[in-house]
Amino acid sequence: MRIASLQGEVPSARDRHSDEELLSRACAGDAEAFRVIFDRQAPGVRRFLGDLLRDDAAADEGTQETFVRAHQRLPTIEEPGKLQGWLFGIARMVSFEHLRRKRRDALPAAPVDEPVQVDRAPSPEALLLSAESDRVLDGALAHLAEERRAALLMRIDHGLGYGEIASAMGWPLQKVKNEIHRARLQLRVSLAGYLDEGAR
Amino acid sequence: MTHVPADELESLALDELSRDRAAQVEAHAAACPQCAHELSWLRAERTLLTRRPLAQTAHLWAGIAARLRHPRRRPHRAWRISVGAAVAAAAAAVLVATVRTRPEPAAPQTPQATRQQRQRSAIDPKALAALDRAEADYRDAAKVLEAEYARLRPRLDPEMARRWDETLTRARAQLGESRAVAADDVNVRMRVLDGYAGYLRSLRDVVQESEEANP
Repeated sequence: MRIASLQGEVPSARDRHSDEELLSRACAGDAEAFRVIFDRQAPGVRRFLGDLLRDDAAADEGTQETFVRAHQRLPTIEEPGKLQGWLFGIARMVSFEHLRRKRRDALPAAPVDEPVQVDRAPSPEALLLSAESDRVLDGALAHLAEERRAALLMRIDHGLGYGEIASAMGWPLQKVKNEIHRARLQLRVSLAGYLDEGAR
Repeated sequence: MTHVPADELESLALDELSRDRAAQVEAHAAACPQCAHELSWLRAERTLLTRRPLAQTAHLWAGIAARLRHPRRRPHRAWRISVGAAVAAAAAAVLVATVRTRPEPAAPQTPQATRQQRQRSAIDPKALAALDRAEADYRDAAKVLEAEYARLRPRLDPEMARRWDETLTRARAQLGESRAVAADDVNVRMRVLDGYAGYLRSLRDVVQESEEANP
């Protein structure tokens, strides 16, 4: 059966197509279907890369590289229903390749402390009201090792399930759970430290 | 009191539970300070992360479309030879500089010994000459690549050209910073070479992408 192209459809009509349908069309060579996939998924991929690379230009380039690679690998996607996780897996590889290249020219990174349990963490509501919350969050994320940060962001910011994260990271499920747990504890130590300072 | 498993609290915070189960977990949290506290952190973390504005991405499509139209090629351009020569010269200079400034065997670290060691790391004339040559080669290679980019730029999509201009400006600024602190010290001079290497890599990528966008 020949699949009709999305070329010429109005934007609101394009929104009706499921990811699976778009993938099927893109695999059949419909360039416009791939464009719709880009429009839907690029903002999330760009934010994920921005959080991993912490460099706007590198995140823009990484987003482009992710979608170019995704286009080349379209026929290899095994679970079309998990398009977002598949794209994040590619983005994760792109970001780590970039960081590896960058690290060759840089001093070795400082060792990242293992998290400790926050026994009497203050209530977090004040953070949500703070004008500095974005800066504090950014600093807290920066303290996480890249892979741990990637797993945490996939789960909390982008809502991927543990199985999808395991596929994207190439980790066993238990490792995903452990890393996200540790990332969360580390994040909380940083955020709680800010709240403690504010309470003084 | 039996607490709700952590993964269920997380699922509640991420709106992944069924309505019935969500109501049960909410009811438990209302009566259990420990679960309520955990839930408030999970919700705060999610809110903090997800409420950040999304970056614009529409402008990135032009570059992707260009690369899909013209898949990556590896043409043998003249500029590749210049870059290769500069990199080889730099590697040789670093080797010379490293060998000629190799530290003496470790001795007790008195203030006087530390001062002497610092004086020894000042550049040997031959190492200095090698570093000067490598820097000059890098400068020549950069000129070739800059000229190549200037030739390709008018044919580029304006938005793409603007992004690449920004990339090069940033790389040039980083190089300027490392040169500003350079002195007759091997380590600082080698950092300058690293700066040149980074600038050349950015230039090479930009030229390569420009060629692919305009075969």
